[in-house]
Amino acid sequence: MAQRVRGENMTLDSKSLSTAASPPLLGVVFRAWSGTRWVETAVSGLDERALTGAAEGLESQLAASRPGSPPPGPSATTVGSFDTAPRRPMRDLGTEGALAWVREVFRWVTDVPMIKFARVSLSWNEEERHYLNTAGANCYQRLDRVRAGVVPVAIENGRSEFDAFSVGRLGGQEILDSITEAAVRRASEGARALLTAKAPPSGLMNVLLDPGTTGTFAHESFGHGTEADQFVRNRSYLQPLLGRTIGPEFLTLVDDGSIPGAWGSIYFDDEGHRSQRTPLVDHGQFVGALHDRGTAFALGASPTGNTRRADFLGQAFVRMTNTSVEPGDWSYEELVNEARDGIVLERWLSGMEDPLGGQMQLKVLKGHRIEKGKVTDLVSSMALSGSVLQFLRDIRGIGKAEHREIDAGYCGKGYGDTLPVGDGGTYLLSRALVGPS
Amino acid sequence: MITPSNLAVRVADRLGGLAAPWDVFAERSRRFEIHLSGSRVELTRGPIVLEGYGLRLLRATDGQTGVGFQASTDFSNDAIRTAVEEAEKFARFNRFPAPHPELPVGRPPTANGAKILDPALWSDPSGTLERFAVALVAAFDGRNGVVPSFSSVKATLTETSIANSTGLAHAYAHTVVETEVAVKAFGGPEGRPPGEYWFTDIERRLDPQALPTLTAEWSRFAEDARGAKSPPNGEVPVVLPPEVLAGIVPTVVRFRFGAAARLRGLAVEAGSQVGTEGLDVLDDGMFDWGVGSSPLDDEGTPSRTRTVISNGRAAELLSDVLHADALRITSTGNGARTGGMDPGTGFWRKFTRRPTPDASTLVIAAGDGGTDPEIIEQVDDGIWVQQIGWAQPDELSGRFGGEIRIGYRIRHGKLAEPVRGGTVGGAVVAREGAPSLLHDLSVIGSKPKLMGSLSSPTLLIRSLSVSGDDLAAATAVPGSPG
Repeated sequence: MAQRVRGENMTLDSKSLSTAASPPLLGVVFRAWSGTRWVETAVSGLDERALTGAAEGLESQLAASRPGSPPPGPSATTVGSFDTAPRRPMRDLGTEGALAWVREVFRWVTDVPMIKFARVSLSWNEEERHYLNTAGANCYQRLDRVRAGVVPVAIENGRSEFDAFSVGRLGGQEILDSITEAAVRRASEGARALLTAKAPPSGLMNVLLDPGTTGTFAHESFGHGTEADQFVRNRSYLQPLLGRTIGPEFLTLVDDGSIPGAWGSIYFDDEGHRSQRTPLVDHGQFVGALHDRGTAFALGASPTGNTRRADFLGQAFVRMTNTSVEPGDWSYEELVNEARDGIVLERWLSGMEDPLGGQMQLKVLKGHRIEKGKVTDLVSSMALSGSVLQFLRDIRGIGKAEHREIDAGYCGKGYGDTLPVGDGGTYLLSRALVGPS
Repeated sequence: MITPSNLAVRVADRLGGLAAPWDVFAERSRRFEIHLSGSRVELTRGPIVLEGYGLRLLRATDGQTGVGFQASTDFSNDAIRTAVEEAEKFARFNRFPAPHPELPVGRPPTANGAKILDPALWSDPSGTLERFAVALVAAFDGRNGVVPSFSSVKATLTETSIANSTGLAHAYAHTVVETEVAVKAFGGPEGRPPGEYWFTDIERRLDPQALPTLTAEWSRFAEDARGAKSPPNGEVPVVLPPEVLAGIVPTVVRFRFGAAARLRGLAVEAGSQVGTEGLDVLDDGMFDWGVGSSPLDDEGTPSRTRTVISNGRAAELLSDVLHADALRITSTGNGARTGGMDPGTGFWRKFTRRPTPDASTLVIAAGDGGTDPEIIEQVDDGIWVQQIGWAQPDELSGRFGGEIRIGYRIRHGKLAEPVRGGTVGGAVVAREGAPSLLHDLSVIGSKPKLMGSLSSPTLLIRSLSVSGDDLAAATAVPGSPG
């Protein structure tokens, strides 16, 4: 697989302006089956000296290997050229045009009392990947990613609080149009409000996840839990449950790398298999997993287009693309009323999976208490913890499609290998342990 | 004796009459990896070769500095010329409030630098990894009902070089190893669910001789996870060992005690009481085997030891060249090209990033609290947290928190039943008078341990917020600070 990434990034904060080209990525990775294992070499640059060196390194590894079996699973045969081809590419905006946009947003974000520091960032890149294999696959894709965000920080009497708002999608300048003055100001007002937020409650309670947090739940629970390399290693608590009902009938959860424009979308994966929509939970029934060619071979399944490398320097293994909970039919007000007492978790920060133990961790920047069926006090950052299966059993409602979002995030697997993924959903009501964070 | 290649000089020599000031930071990295599924090798990678350089120009503009930066993996004359043009272009746009930044002047490296290179790994990376993997698998032999479900070891061998317009030219070599092992405990007649302990670490060297002790610990944690109960709920005395502190303290300290935060009004107040009396925290770029250690920082200033917190009070500010000039101080040798969200790339690919103030190797000085058992003896009712899912400390608010993956209840001065689930959280530093981890230390242990870029003893915190569904909350721990 050969890769080239080009782009620019810029950050304006209260003290400095910094623009630069995105970190350069230009290189190639070679992979071969040795008979018992995969072997790989990689090198930056595409000149003859670099390529020869990498090829010789691969041959050296192969020479030391023992005879064995043929490579596991089906080789891809995808042929084609795929391109996001934005109508208004970011490069046409130019550095000056992009900076003008950044300065305008900075004005919006700082035009709110108590905002003593703010940061506005914008980055875009054009990523090209070209995949070839000995089975005849020869496919090229270009993905144009744009991400922009604001972080306002409110400070008063030595207490500092921040809020954040960001957008990330495949496409061009039209993505900037979706960052409105009203949305940016809401983030600044959010940071200011957090200065007087109360500490969150602690313990087991009803939890209403906002759409972004629901997406993080989808990612950490059934996303990582259904990456089938964990099945092959006997490291997934979910594996014995395949085919069984594990949640309410109104719960459907999918991974879909083919959603046009979504942050985690790809045309084909790093083994050359086309991306697709893969149901993981269908109306409460656990129905599928995410596969590369090796796990598909081991478990009698088909590759799902989920083999991804963070870049040509990283390994290829089973990864998510865009993972989301499908909408239900509850209104927000109905969900709050159903909760009666509990907490709304808002503005996700991160999540953490536990593939064997079946636990999960979600962190959010803020939330609101729910008391007697009404949304009341703002509270500061929290962590949610709990058993995924128990959390599923306790789901009481899922919000309507009008609230659906697919947020742009980054996912690491193991220790590193961070790559772009989308997480999505609507409001979701369940029950879990919550504590300050 | 290893003579590292000086790619920075190779680039600098072809910059022609480029106007000063400028610097070039270059790396040649070779990476080798071995991945195991159970005891079977499923993937070997390497060499993965990455060569590149970052060119930085500092241009005076309206009493400020326009910083131009361009990185490249192409060492051809054309590419270097393009990098200069691009850096000059971006310098025209950029503004940083430093009126007269001065790059470090060339000088010979210190004779006795920190140990940052594993000679065995350097001379035979693939063989050393293969032998380590064999030793890792063998260390589980004979253990009943405990196996490694997967593991990986990734070694990065880097030749770093720096050159600048003052004539500085220096190169050094170093190694970093990332280890990841998932240990699974299973079986038994009672049908309990399996348990797992997931170990991750970043070090400068591989130590196969430590494996028997480590695998015994990991196996115990995995086994204990199987029967662990929810922790108590409430404000609870908490003991945090270095393994956990390494995931909490550095992120907040390196920002809140750094010049970037000071310039932006986000740093702790100079001289303020940020920690318990008796607490000393150093930044030591010369600390042997520290992942953040190096003879020079990433813009060429020699590394040395700085006092970040002295007797609980904020002391020296960590700074690079630009922020130092903006604040009218001198660089402390803390210009680092780290950053980014991926802990697996922070120590390499540095040429793609510009310097910013950051800690090197942080050292929480040992106290008089004794060994771990002696610390535990001082707790009547609390918890020992062995692992948090992801504490995700936040540099702006100073807060941290996450799920307890494995820990132990402490009852009457002894470790009791394992706990798991629920959350633990609080603030690393907070405004004066507000509770925080550093301010509420009851005991500072006497036995420091290096974990990545933090050396710390075990700490007992008087109270942190713990959520659990065991409502029998613990009582406050007796004892005085320090």
